[in-house]
Amino acid sequence: MPTQITVRPDPRQFPSSSRVNYQRRFVRRSRRADLLVISLWASGAAAAALFLASGGAGQFGSLAETVTSMGIVAGLIGTDFILVMLVLAARIPFIDRTIGHDRAVAVHRALSKPALYLLLGHGALLLIGYGMSSGINPIAQIGPMLALPDMPLAFIAMGLMITVVVTSLVAVRRRFSYEGWHLVHLLSYLSVAFALPHQLSVGGVLAVGTAQRVYWIALYVVAFGCLITFRFVEPIVSSLRHRITVAGTTTIAPGVTSIHLSGHNLRGLGAAGGQFFIWRFWTGTTWWHSHPISLSAVPTSSTARITVRDLGSGSARISAVPVGTRVSIEGPYGLFTDAARTSPKVAIIAAGIGVTPIRALLDHARFAPGEATILLRASTQEETYHWDEIRELAAAKGARCYVMVGRRSRVGPGWISEQDALRGVTLAGTFPDLADSDLYLCGPTAWLDLVEADARATGIPQHQIHAERFDW
Amino acid sequence: MRTRAVLGSIFASVAVLVVGWQAGAAVVVTSTATTSAPQASGVTPAPVVGGTPTPAATPTAVPVPAGPADGTYTGASVATRYGSVQVSIAFAGGAITDVAALKLTDADGRSVQISNRAAPLLHDEVLASQSANVSNVTGATYTTRAYLSSVQSALDQAGF
Repeated sequence: MPTQITVRPDPRQFPSSSRVNYQRRFVRRSRRADLLVISLWASGAAAAALFLASGGAGQFGSLAETVTSMGIVAGLIGTDFILVMLVLAARIPFIDRTIGHDRAVAVHRALSKPALYLLLGHGALLLIGYGMSSGINPIAQIGPMLALPDMPLAFIAMGLMITVVVTSLVAVRRRFSYEGWHLVHLLSYLSVAFALPHQLSVGGVLAVGTAQRVYWIALYVVAFGCLITFRFVEPIVSSLRHRITVAGTTTIAPGVTSIHLSGHNLRGLGAAGGQFFIWRFWTGTTWWHSHPISLSAVPTSSTARITVRDLGSGSARISAVPVGTRVSIEGPYGLFTDAARTSPKVAIIAAGIGVTPIRALLDHARFAPGEATILLRASTQEETYHWDEIRELAAAKGARCYVMVGRRSRVGPGWISEQDALRGVTLAGTFPDLADSDLYLCGPTAWLDLVEADARATGIPQHQIHAERFDW
Repeated sequence: MRTRAVLGSIFASVAVLVVGWQAGAAVVVTSTATTSAPQASGVTPAPVVGGTPTPAATPTAVPVPAGPADGTYTGASVATRYGSVQVSIAFAGGAITDVAALKLTDADGRSVQISNRAAPLLHDEVLASQSANVSNVTGATYTTRAYLSSVQSALDQAGF
């Protein structure tokens, strides 16, 4: 056995089935991801094609006509992007398994400004275009525009959409509590619904009896159908079915609490180690606040466990919930799991409270003895949450486990402790098989960015790095 | 992987746009081709706009010999991409005394608004010029063309 650990197996001699499977699974997953990207852009093109298909190509004769046509196309593409954003925010299992919740949210966010600009352009261009064709200025055109049926609703929809996007800008969002921001964000549903009537009645593109109208209504049905199914119905059904309650709480370190949960058929949740749920604890003071928290152990059929650190006022309150409190859930979400593997070996680095998903990940991670290396990181001895459990699991599964305690070094890559940096500890030295490994990183954003940069400097491809940033 | 997604997106988008464009070209061809035959009757007059009450025809003392017989002549229904247009013309004493819009472009809210603005102007101009030879109403090109073409077909029937 020891020789197998030290000698790096040559893949040609060692066509281990696990290697082949990881590669094939990764290829399949990236094909699905590419398909999602392609359908995103194709749906934007389809929105423009709706206009062309209604004879729009001939609608660029005069300047007024051109401006009006551009306004219509901007509105169609902008609305299509908004619907795509709704789909991305719907937490559809297929999308979560393919690109992960994080990336879905990142794409959702990246689309928000282009979508708003397109919709603002839509309004402005049509006021200008209509104004030009009837010989009045765009401001004066607002009156006749509002006189069209369904247009007052459309103006309200635009106002709501501006509010939603502005409150989500990083600088503005920081001034809101999460709940306040989220409440405002829900107005986007209203905005999208209010915008629909004018699309169907004012413009000619989606006129009654056209194929365009059928396609457009189908888009709305799909987007809202996904939202209702996966954001509302599915979590409610799952919460009712599994009847989760708080079984007890244990303080494992100052300010850090493990919450033990019990419920029915919790294996049926299909949660993989490393995934998170959005939890809501039904007490008088905590019911209005939901928390995304990773499992700190894979559920058994009747128990599950999460571990929280008191950061916000919300998490301080949930660490004190009484036994028997009912808990509702949304999830499981996330791709910080064994399903994201692309390589036969495993490398793990976790810091602080970031060890919790790692602890659960280790339950499920498949690797041969000697093919996994774990590095646990903490600033002080008090922050070594669940390290004993991780050490036990590592020993049982044949993984190497290193620990590193101390403040961050000012020399070197910056994520290593002062003491170890001076000793000459490096990423490549600790993880000699990094090129053949999936690297799982979990910890505070600032620290994690340093580790990730260091890892990328070794030449490891991006798809082998799986990072979960813990900021709460 | 990234390259495949980019290229795939470009090809898919271009394909979708070309299909849309071709479908649109077909729409334009058919809508210009379907200038329907004149109908004399059986048209259900849509409750639209523009038909300002007929001023009582001032009877001219001596009817022009070659003029059309008094009465109402219905023009052809002319299709546009925003809906069809049809008018009828009333003759009395060899002159056009009224133009009534039986149907105006109404495919969507915007078209209704445009034809509501254009129809009274066209009505007055046709009466003033006593012909279909009337200038275009800005911003209502489709309505104007279809309206005048329907007027002309009514005039042809009347032999005016």
